[in-house]
Amino acid sequence: MFFKPHADINKLKAEFKFDASGLISEFEKDENAATAKYSEKVLEINGELKSKTKMANGTDLLILEDEMQGISCQLDSSWASTNQPIIQSLEIGKSVTIKGICKGYLMEIKVSPAIVLK
Amino acid sequence: MLGASLGAIGQGKFISKNAYISFYSSTPLEDILGESNEAVTILNAETGEIAFQALMTTFHFKRALMEEHFNENYMESTKFPKAKFNGKIEGYNSSMLNGPVSDIKVTGILSVHGVEKTLTIPAKLGLEDGKLVGSSKFKVTPENYGIKIPSLVRDKIGKEMEVTVKAYYAPFGQ
Repeated sequence: MFFKPHADINKLKAEFKFDASGLISEFEKDENAATAKYSEKVLEINGELKSKTKMANGTDLLILEDEMQGISCQLDSSWASTNQPIIQSLEIGKSVTIKGICKGYLMEIKVSPAIVLK
Repeated sequence: MLGASLGAIGQGKFISKNAYISFYSSTPLEDILGESNEAVTILNAETGEIAFQALMTTFHFKRALMEEHFNENYMESTKFPKAKFNGKIEGYNSSMLNGPVSDIKVTGILSVHGVEKTLTIPAKLGLEDGKLVGSSKFKVTPENYGIKIPSLVRDKIGKEMEVTVKAYYAPFGQ
């Protein structure tokens, strides 16, 4: 147990599937209830890609649905390192589906680490 | 809503949604480092007020088990999901945002694990390569925030944690 590895998001099965707007409205309606329900759970989310950037530390960051108050997905670094072509092919304004661990709500819904499914 | 503590969202505000925060403790038995790149902070350019929040679940540790203990046993992240700081820059003047990085002091209320304490922390604020950057390093004592550390691991976890934060701010709404 001491050397128990970090969860591999590739292998975890999504417990909930959402359209980005549906998940956002659940958090807007009742943040505490949504946090209790989804925090640390694996979610599959489909939504419109609003932004795609590389953070200063090299992490790829995708934002779905709303640039300011949408869903922020920091991609899993080991997945991203072997899947750069997939990340590069993502287009702003197009639909994207990600799988990741929901961390809760801080102005936007934080999902990390995440991987791109399609 | 994070913006609520600083009034309406609008002009004259700077934001970072991927700010860095870490805490570090070092003992002869073990070094502990928890890091998050998902903190959110808003700086009000008119008043010098700063709000900073982090979700406890976004802290990452080298060992998965440490992350589990941190959330489940020490921080009780389900009950207290966020750490928050609401403060104001002492002697604030908007020129602090346009000059080179300089030392400032921020006084405010730090809320961790549901316990609130008033703190004055040293910080730095100013332009770095044309970007507004704020940073701070200060110490907190977990026991002051009602965080219970079992005697079994007491020797592995420092009495004080060194907290480091760094944020690159961008104008709101741009």
